[in-house]
Amino acid sequence: MSRARFALLSITLLALGTALLAPSSSQSQTPQASQTPRSGGVLNMMLREDLSQGFSIHETSTISTVWPAMPCLSNLVLFDPLKKTESVDTIIGELAEKWSWQDNYRNLVFFLRRGVKWHDGQPFTSKDVKFTFDMLREAPDAPAKLRINPRKDWYANVEAIETPDTYTAVFRLKKPQPSLLLMLASGYTPVYAAHVPPADYRTHCVGTGPFKLKEWRKGEYVEFVKNPDYFVKGRPYLDGLKYFAILERGTRQAAIQAGKLDVSFPGETTKTAAEQLKKAVPQLVITPFSQNVTDNIIMNMKKPPFDNQKVRLAVSHAIDRRALIQAVHQGGAVVGAGLAPKPWGFWGLAEKDLVGLPGYGTKPADEKALARKLMAEAGFSREKPLKVEIVTRSIAIYVDMASFVINELKQVGIEATLKQIETAQWHAMATRGDYQIGANLTGVGPDDPDANYYENYGCGSPRNYSQYCSEEVMKMFDAQSQELDPKKRLALNAAIQKKLEADAARPILDWKLDYFTVWPHVKNLIPHQSIYNFGRMQEVWSDK
Amino acid sequence: MAVSRAEIAVAAGARPRPGMWTAIARFARKKPLGAAGGVLMLVMLVTAIFAEVLQTHDPIATAAAATLAGPSADHWLGTDHLGRDIYSRIVHGARVSLVVGVASTLLGSVLGGIIGLLSGYVGGRTDMVTQRILDILQGLPLLVLALVMSAALGPAVHNVIIAISIPIIPRAARVIRSSVLSIREMQYVEAARSLGVRHLRIAFRHILPNTIGSFIVLCTAQLGSAILVEATLSYLGLGVPEPYPSWGRMLSVSAAEYAQKAPHLVLFPGIAISLAVFGSNLLGDALRDTLDPRLRGS
Repeated sequence: MSRARFALLSITLLALGTALLAPSSSQSQTPQASQTPRSGGVLNMMLREDLSQGFSIHETSTISTVWPAMPCLSNLVLFDPLKKTESVDTIIGELAEKWSWQDNYRNLVFFLRRGVKWHDGQPFTSKDVKFTFDMLREAPDAPAKLRINPRKDWYANVEAIETPDTYTAVFRLKKPQPSLLLMLASGYTPVYAAHVPPADYRTHCVGTGPFKLKEWRKGEYVEFVKNPDYFVKGRPYLDGLKYFAILERGTRQAAIQAGKLDVSFPGETTKTAAEQLKKAVPQLVITPFSQNVTDNIIMNMKKPPFDNQKVRLAVSHAIDRRALIQAVHQGGAVVGAGLAPKPWGFWGLAEKDLVGLPGYGTKPADEKALARKLMAEAGFSREKPLKVEIVTRSIAIYVDMASFVINELKQVGIEATLKQIETAQWHAMATRGDYQIGANLTGVGPDDPDANYYENYGCGSPRNYSQYCSEEVMKMFDAQSQELDPKKRLALNAAIQKKLEADAARPILDWKLDYFTVWPHVKNLIPHQSIYNFGRMQEVWSDK
Repeated sequence: MAVSRAEIAVAAGARPRPGMWTAIARFARKKPLGAAGGVLMLVMLVTAIFAEVLQTHDPIATAAAATLAGPSADHWLGTDHLGRDIYSRIVHGARVSLVVGVASTLLGSVLGGIIGLLSGYVGGRTDMVTQRILDILQGLPLLVLALVMSAALGPAVHNVIIAISIPIIPRAARVIRSSVLSIREMQYVEAARSLGVRHLRIAFRHILPNTIGSFIVLCTAQLGSAILVEATLSYLGLGVPEPYPSWGRMLSVSAAEYAQKAPHLVLFPGIAISLAVFGSNLLGDALRDTLDPRLRGS
């Protein structure tokens, strides 16, 4: 064998050996925990729309705000960013170093961190905690008021907030409520600075979070830089974050596929889109997870025709949940009632309990026949159809769902036209009740009955868009909230979910899944079981 | 015994006016491309009128079992991401495109025509001020102005018609004014004036009918642009709202996201838009050549 042939053979064997021994692309994504985090780098992220309420998380009910505002702010407590399943056991301290339940869940005491500074250099104290939560619960002597306060009812059970010293805050409750801690751990519950007017958060962000706002160019991007004074030493790892507003869904997908962006927007990647992305760029890391968001129908019960329970029930019966999941989500959602079903949630009804509820039956033709019967009883027929205007937000995932619903309603004698509403007007319109019927998405901060019920079904709650109000059901809410026996609480919640669907309070169509997509160099960005709670970014690092 | 107009014309030594079919046949012979454009527009018109007959499925009916299906015997052009039949949506989309295109063109051209007529006829300071305002409006591209109007008015069919018609107004006003400027100097207009005929009557009775050729050319020329702008507005989410089919909306709603997996989502609405605009432009050009005396025979 000549020297040249020997060299060629050696190189070929070496290349083959390397190829056989080298891990495949999927295997090369070794567990993130085994790697040592590295500091530096900037992540390019996406926004599906501009920030309609700026950074004022307390005045908003959309992930469009929570996701880009979370890095600037801090809570008292937070669900551990590194644990995908959220529970009371995964809560970690943020501005609170420690906390303690006292008097059988009647008092919640927070011991605050010392030496924490707001981004403008002012010290953080218990005064900020009292300011924030008195404002949220709309206490009579609250020093400030929010323009809209969507989650006011989360704090309805708080009787007083006391601050015995600069670094202690005590939440005194009217009755025991273990769930309060979970609500405080949601991304929806940051602490505002007492020395900053709440309205300022609509344009600026003075927080204590791991990143400081550098620039918000409306309609274009939001840019954050590392907060060198962040209270957790060695965090954040990244030097900055940049969120680009890309309104068009296909363009967003193309941007992540091309590597222009590093991370998808929570709740925006459908199953089909994820499959396409994976096919185009096999190294992308795609994680299916529960969003804790439902597709649902809101119907204004204060106005005809939806003040008539028969019409509401007809709507619920008309919509084939399973077909919707296949058509709109390509299988990327699950059937469920008021609370997220297993394995994505803890409290949801089992399939055997669901099939007996209006619209959940496995025979859609029978459900539609029942809907037509109810419509006839309410005085409508094929010759005299009910004509309504269905509202939805001007976002593709909303419009897709609304288009499906319109076709379903048409089959039972309800002729609907679609009106799209911009996010800036949507929540105010729904709260005022300036609509007949809406195709809506509702996200719940934590997977917890209290958070969902009091916010979305409680009498007088600003987020109770259907304006459903039942004294009987409110008593059931309170009973489960105070129940400390998990089994009994689970049973109470099953009864509540059945009652809500039987009343067609806000028919739930499905619980959505997301296919969260990141490039492999993005580490420690772990999607939770709710899209609202993992946007802080202090643990995220870049392996680029 | 009654004498027909044709007989009178023959008796007077004039050539009889050709019948409609003869005129069409002559037009097709002289302007085959224009005739092809006319056929395309006719097909679009027939499709729009008989959409319910031509459809194979309800255009808004979703089918969970057939999402993103390719062309087949059941779904001739395939289905979209919600399982809606693309062929039926294109058929109904023709109606939306034609209604919006024709209505906005007519509205813009009529309003612009009246402004141009009055501006050209009155002249002087009125004409000067009107033309400067039109200059400002015409300085903005049709699409940009339509976008602004549509964003301000919100997505609805009537709003889209208004949004597209407003940018057409200055273009129509300019064309009609230029015709009026030459017509108003003609002797029969002077004669009418000297006989004491009122100005409005002169403008609308004696001048306006003579601008009809320019008006037709203007309308056909703007129709293609209007269809394209409607598609663009719908693509951007400012046009006809879902779930009603619009070609532009069909491109935007799902095509960009699913184009790789189901290219027919992009292909067929794109072909429909192209053919409509192409047909309208071919017809417009041919009509302009035929009706504009300066270009006749060119």
